[in-house]
This record gives sequence, structure tokens and C-alpha cells, in this order.
Amino acid sequence: MLIVRGLTKIYGDHADTRAGGVRDFSFELPPGTFFTLLGPSGCGKTTTLRCIAGLERPDAGQIRIGDATLYDSTVGTAVPLNRRGIGMVFQSYAIWPHMTVFENIAFPLRVAKDRRYNREEICALVDQSLGTVGLSGFGDRPATRLSGGQQQRVALARAIVHKPRLLLLDEPLSNLDAALREEMRIELRRLQQQIGLTTVYVTHDQAEALAMSDLIAVMDHGRVAQMDEPRAIYFRPANEFVARFIGAANLLHGTADAPTGPGDLGSVVLDDGDRIRCVFPAGGAARSAVTVSLRPESLVIGPGDCQTDAASNTLAGIVVGCSFLGGTARYDVRVKQRILRVTAPSDVTFPDGTPVHLTFALDSAVVVG
Amino acid sequence: MNIAAADPRVIIAVVVGGVLVALMVPPLWMLLQDSVTTTDAFGDVTGLTLQHFHKLVIEKRALTSLVNSLVFAAGSTVLSLLTGGALAWLVERTNAPLKVLAYLVAIISMGTPYVLHVIAWLFLLGKIGPLNDLWRQVTGETGVLFNVNSMAGMILIEGFLWSPLVFLLLGSTFRAANADMEEAARMSGASVFDTLRRISLPLAMPSLLALALFVFIRAIGGFEVPALVGMPGRIYVLTTDVYESTVTVPPDLGHAAAFSVVMVVIVAVLLAFYGRLSKNAERYHSITGKGYRPRPFDLGRGRWIAGALIVLNFVVVLLLPLLTLAWMSLLPFLRSISIAGFASLTLKNYRAVLTAPGYIGLAVNSLIVAAGAATAIMAITSLAGWIAGRNGPGGRILDQLATLSLVFPGICLGVAVMEVWLRIPLPVYGTLWIIGIAYVIRYMPFGMRYIYSGVLQLHRELEEAAGVAGAGTMTTLRRVVAPLLTPALVAGWLFIFLIANKELAIAVLLASPRSQVIAVAIFDQWVNGQGGELAAFGLIWTVLMTIIATVFFVFTRRGGVDVHGN
Repeated sequence: MLIVRGLTKIYGDHADTRAGGVRDFSFELPPGTFFTLLGPSGCGKTTTLRCIAGLERPDAGQIRIGDATLYDSTVGTAVPLNRRGIGMVFQSYAIWPHMTVFENIAFPLRVAKDRRYNREEICALVDQSLGTVGLSGFGDRPATRLSGGQQQRVALARAIVHKPRLLLLDEPLSNLDAALREEMRIELRRLQQQIGLTTVYVTHDQAEALAMSDLIAVMDHGRVAQMDEPRAIYFRPANEFVARFIGAANLLHGTADAPTGPGDLGSVVLDDGDRIRCVFPAGGAARSAVTVSLRPESLVIGPGDCQTDAASNTLAGIVVGCSFLGGTARYDVRVKQRILRVTAPSDVTFPDGTPVHLTFALDSAVVVG
Repeated sequence: MNIAAADPRVIIAVVVGGVLVALMVPPLWMLLQDSVTTTDAFGDVTGLTLQHFHKLVIEKRALTSLVNSLVFAAGSTVLSLLTGGALAWLVERTNAPLKVLAYLVAIISMGTPYVLHVIAWLFLLGKIGPLNDLWRQVTGETGVLFNVNSMAGMILIEGFLWSPLVFLLLGSTFRAANADMEEAARMSGASVFDTLRRISLPLAMPSLLALALFVFIRAIGGFEVPALVGMPGRIYVLTTDVYESTVTVPPDLGHAAAFSVVMVVIVAVLLAFYGRLSKNAERYHSITGKGYRPRPFDLGRGRWIAGALIVLNFVVVLLLPLLTLAWMSLLPFLRSISIAGFASLTLKNYRAVLTAPGYIGLAVNSLIVAAGAATAIMAITSLAGWIAGRNGPGGRILDQLATLSLVFPGICLGVAVMEVWLRIPLPVYGTLWIIGIAYVIRYMPFGMRYIYSGVLQLHRELEEAAGVAGAGTMTTLRRVVAPLLTPALVAGWLFIFLIANKELAIAVLLASPRSQVIAVAIFDQWVNGQGGELAAFGLIWTVLMTIIATVFFVFTRRGGVDVHGN
């Protein structure tokens, strides 16, 4: 169980980079959790990871695994990184080119301070680790003769061979090509569940985060914008930043009609006069200004003369742009003064200039702030 | 129409190739010819002979010199690699304090003529120097604790001479190293020491070996230390043997040529090894992550020990020699450092240096020759390096021609160039021109390296885009390639300018009373016992060169090229 409290690490303003880091970050992970730190570059996700690893020294806060304190600024505890018992996969994999695959993976066992492993144990553990990542028989290969995907697997095998308490993954898939990346995404998640290892994963790719995680923290400028399970992050973004970052959302501005309780449906008058009903996850007062997130794929596009009903919202507009993407089509639809992005099945087409209706379920529109 | 004939690059390649052949081939040819022929009093060839080589083999002295050369080069290589390497690691990869001192040493050393450094060390460790002085006062003995004119003294001084360059070159290796590799080891549970032993050192080993060989080659060809430190102690190496047989009356040029051929062969073989080692070094470079900011090791309490080592290096390699020179420059005659000496401190030497027209002329001469040679080299190599870097017509041949002079130790090149121009009926021998020509030949490989790697860093599509936009080869070269190569051009120019003013070996045989350059003048003055004025003049010169070295250093750091154009 990983516990992080009040983690703060701030970088000063350098000439070439603006101040970065992480501010007052707290979370607790039950054993076996796959936790993802998600955000744009410079949001503090890598800093958080490196503080947990011990590669950076936090300015303040507390880091614990179970009852072992790794770092505590109040009492000055700071366990050196090589005594933390953490496995880590680096973005560049950091496979040592002067060693074989076997030696790369055996390294953590050879330098272990808490116990000595004999030759048989090392062989057994390395073989087991190689088997886990699907590279049995690759041990004798020089590390320089590995493909990107294989390097990635070796890095993972090395990170888990000494049975760490925690696994840290720093954008491990970003150096792979698209097809391999999707395959490794599934593979990594399967491995993590099989070993049951608590894992902290850093990425800027929202699809990766949604596909693999038990828990996601979306970060922005060193602060947590939202921390929740993938479905909640996706369907109930807590604020505009998260809504924008997780898939391209349409954001509509308007005013709440009447006071609404948390999680209830309420009515919003949009700035251009349309009225829609939507979910208020945190509730809202009457006359308060609100922003509503509307996903492109929740919008159903239909001909301008189709039926409307009270069980869903309807907006009238005109198609101003259409691109065929294979399985889906993307439309830009002008509704009054604003352009809404719509993802629709590609079997029916609406040429530019067609008047259309956009309908969407009441609970697919979410107030985000 | 024949496309190849229409390619302006072919014309460029032929012209540049012609210039390079004219520069590079005659000295080599002349050495070979001299080594296997007999000549009459007018220098005309009278017959073929193997007597020069025969003499080398039967004379015991030749073998002694060879062994001395190898011991000297090996010893100073090890010393400079240990001191410079340890310093580079501390500065680039740890959080040791006072790092700026290490750079200060490197920059000022870059601007100081080798010969000046050697003289300072000779005094420091010499008979009347503070080391032996102190020992005599403490023990009451009358002899010396340490005889500087010994192999040990030579190795010590040469090692200190090279350590700043090793620091800079290894520093860039450590800086470019992927920090992930070390962090991964730490995350795997390794201590700082384990990481250093099992990861950092093995990863740096190919670069270390290549650099060791590089220093070894330069030390084999080194002249300043063997001449100033070794010769008074009757310790001869190959370079001083060549020098002696050239300056004795009458000069035994066949002997010098035969010695030179032996050295050229040794260096050529070592260079071939070096080429292979450098390729090996690049193999590890191919697997790196993305560019990260450097993340130094935390040494904990060891920080202060590391800081002390950096200070020690600063004091020993820079401060002591400079203070010694200052002491020498402020005294009317050379004497050991003592309280009594302070009473006779005077600025007389500085006044003499600043008022005598000879010194000003000397400085102007040196600056003109170095600047002229650097300009000529960059002009030639910018074309040759571009064609070679783009695999243009004859690119490989141009590259080999331009780097051919690497096989010459400086003193051998001096002999060869002298021989060439003694036989050409142009009034070049005895003027500054011959020194300039020798510089151009000698430092051409450095210019080539700067331009070549500069070209490799330019994306080929930048030129292709200019071509598609309608620009011809010459326009592309002028409007696209040249502006983008400016950093490499400037860095190369400054490097050549600095090193030309530093080295003694080439010019020592070519300078005449009418055409002196700095290093030779300092050498002559030391030999003539004019220590005070030479120290004063040397210090003023060092200040000037340090300014240029600082410009060079800041420029290369910002432009992302390291000291050797990588």
C-alpha cells in the first residue's frame, strides 16, 4: 500500500523552462492498484514519480509503503533510492548496452544489499522473470541486439526480478510505434494483474490511461485536477481542464435555471438562448454561470425534420464541415453562433449546408464548472 | 548533357582536392625520400641508401629513445586520464561544489602556451624551486629531493599539461551519457560505488580507451617537455632526437628523416587503432533516451571531499604555475622564493616588455600567422568537409587527404616542411609564410572535424528544400549551408587559432630571427636564461589568450559543439 501525503517539489524559474513541479499532492493506493498520473508535459506527473522513486528529493511531504516510511520532511527521513525496493521502467528503457539480456535482468539481484543470491537463485529468478515478459530463451542475447518492444520487456523484467514492493513506469510505451503500443498496453495490464503489483504509471496519452488504470489522477500545473476511476474521469469530468484533456469535448456556457442538488438533473439556459437539461455532479445554485461538457460521440446527428422528445436534448444546426474517417465521420455543426464537433457513424452522410438536429441523452451533458 | 560534369560539386572537389594534395603530399614524400637517399652539400639527391635506417638499428641510442618515448607517453597518458577523468566525472556527474574552478583551469590552460607551463613547472620542481628549497631547509641536506630533469619529472609535467584537455573531452562524454542508465542501476539497488564500477565505467570504457590512445599519440609527438625537461637531464625521446639531428652543425637531415619515418609509422598504426576504438565508442552512444537535463549523483557528505579535490586540482594545475610565473616576472633575476626575494620585487620586466618594440612585433606576428592559418583552413575545410559529409564526389578521398597530417608529430612536420621549401625556389623559407603553411598542414584535420560533424548535424532536407525551391548548388551553399555552419566554422577557427599559438614543435625549426612566434621566442629566452622578461611577457600573453579561450568556450557550449567539434 502506497501512501503519499502533501507531496511538494517545486522547481525554480530557469531561463528556458517555467516553474514546474508538484504541489501538495496526496493519495493512497490499496495493494495491487494500477494508478496512472495523467497530464500534459510539465504538469508534475514525472516529478511525482521521481520523488516516489527517490530520484528527486521532495521539498515537503510524506511517502510511505505499508508501514515503511521512505520520505518524511517533518522528521527528515529520506531512504536512499537504492534501499527503497522499488522497480522502475524508464522512458528510454535504460538497457545497459555492455551487458547481455541475462546480466541486465540479474543486476538487481547481484547488487542486492539485504541478502546474497547464489548462482542457482539468480538463474531461477531471471528465467522466471524472462518467462513472465515472454522472452524465455533471450538471456544470452547482447542487449544491443533487441528491438524496441524487446528492450521494453527486458526493462520490465529487470524491474520486477527482485520482487519489488512497488513498480514505477515512466511513459514506457511512448517510444514504441502505434501498433506495438496498443499490444503492449494490453500486455502490461495483464502482467500487472497477474503479478498483483501496485503500479504507478506516468503518461500523457489519455487512451493508455483509460485502458489500463484502476485509478487516474489528471494533473495540471503541479496540482491534481481530478482523481477518480477511468469511467468517472471520462463521463463525469470534474472541471473544464479534465473535460478538454480527456477527449475533445464541446464546452457550452450558460446559466443554471434553478437550484439543483448534487448529482441531479437540472436545466441550463445556454448563452445563445437554447435550453438543455443536464447533470449537475456537484449541484448548483440558481442563476449561477455554468460550463457544460458535451462529448462529440454522445451527440446523435439526424435530419432537420426528425422528431424531438422530452427524454433527450435537441439542438438545431447546420453542417459546416464533414470528414470521413472510416468507421466514423466527424461533423462540424453550427448551432447558433457556435460550432459543435460531432462523431457519428459513417453510413449516412450529411453534406455541407444540410440543416440537422443534434440530440443527446440528458445525462450525457455534464456541468463541469 | 553529362549530369556529373554539370555538377558544380565535382569542380569544387577537384579544386579543393588539388590544394590538399599540394599541401599534404610533398612533406610526406620529402621525409620518405630523405630517409632513403644521400645528398650532396647543396641538398641534391646523389643516391639511394639504407644507411640512415641502418644507423638507427645499430645505434643503441635510437632504441633507448624509442623506449623512453613509449614510457613517457604511457606514463603521462595514465596520469592525465586519472586526474582529468576523475575531475570530469566529479564535475559533470555529481553534485560536488566549486565546479567553476575546474572550468577555470581548463579555459586558462587552453590559452597558455605549453612551453610557458613547462617553464613554471621546471622552476617549481627544479633545484632552486620551492619544493627542493623547503626540503633542504627542513632536513638540512644540500642536494635535491626531486630531480625534475628525470623521466618522473617529464611524466609528471606532461601529465598535468594534458589533464585539462582530458577533463574537457571526457566531460562532454559524461554529459552526453544517458543518465537513465545510472539511475536504473540505482533503482535496482546499486550503491553509488557499485553504479560507478558496474555501469558508468564500463559504459565510458570505449571512450576512455579512445581518448587514452589519442593522448598517447599526442604525447609520443610531444616536444616541449622532452626538450625543456628531458634534454638537460640527457633523457632523449624520439622527438628530441629529431630536433637534435636537425639543429646540430652540420645538420644530419637523413638521420632526422629516418627517425621521423619511424615515428610517422608508429603514429599511423596507432591512428588506425584509434579509428577503430572511436567507432566502438559510438556503438554505445546509439542507444540513448531523449535529451534530459543532467541529474547529478548525490555524494552526500563526500561532496566536500570532492570539492577539496577540485580545489587541489585548481591549485596544482593552475594556481601554482601562474604564481610561479608571477614571481619570476617580478624579480630582476631568477632566485628561489623567499622573504628576502620580496624586497627586490620590481616591475622592470613588465616595463621592458611593454616598451621594447621586439615584443609587440612578436605578438603581432603570432596573431597574424595563427589567424591567417585558421582562416585558410576553415575556407578549405568548409568545402571539403561539406562534400565529405554529404558523400559527394570524391568525399572520402578529400577527407583522407585533409586528415593525412595527423600522422606527423609536430617536430617531424617541421623537418618535412623545411625540407620542401628549401628546395622550392620561392622566398618562403625564413619568413612567416613557411610557419603559416606548416600550421595549415598541421591543423587541417581539426578544421575538417569541426566542419564534418557540423554538416552531419544539418538535416540533408534543408539543402534539398533549397534545391527544390530552385536554388543552384552554389546558391544553396551560400544561402543555406554556410549560415547554418557558422557555429562550426567559428568554433573551428577559434580552436585552431588557440592551439597554433600554444604549440612549439612545428615552429621551432621554421622560425628565424626575422620571423619569430611566441612559443619559439619563449623557448629561446628560457634557453638563454632570460626568465624574468619571458615570464612577464608570457603572463600578458596568457591573459590575452584566456579572453579568446573564454569566447571559444562560451561559444561552443551554447552552440552545443564540444571542444573537439563533436
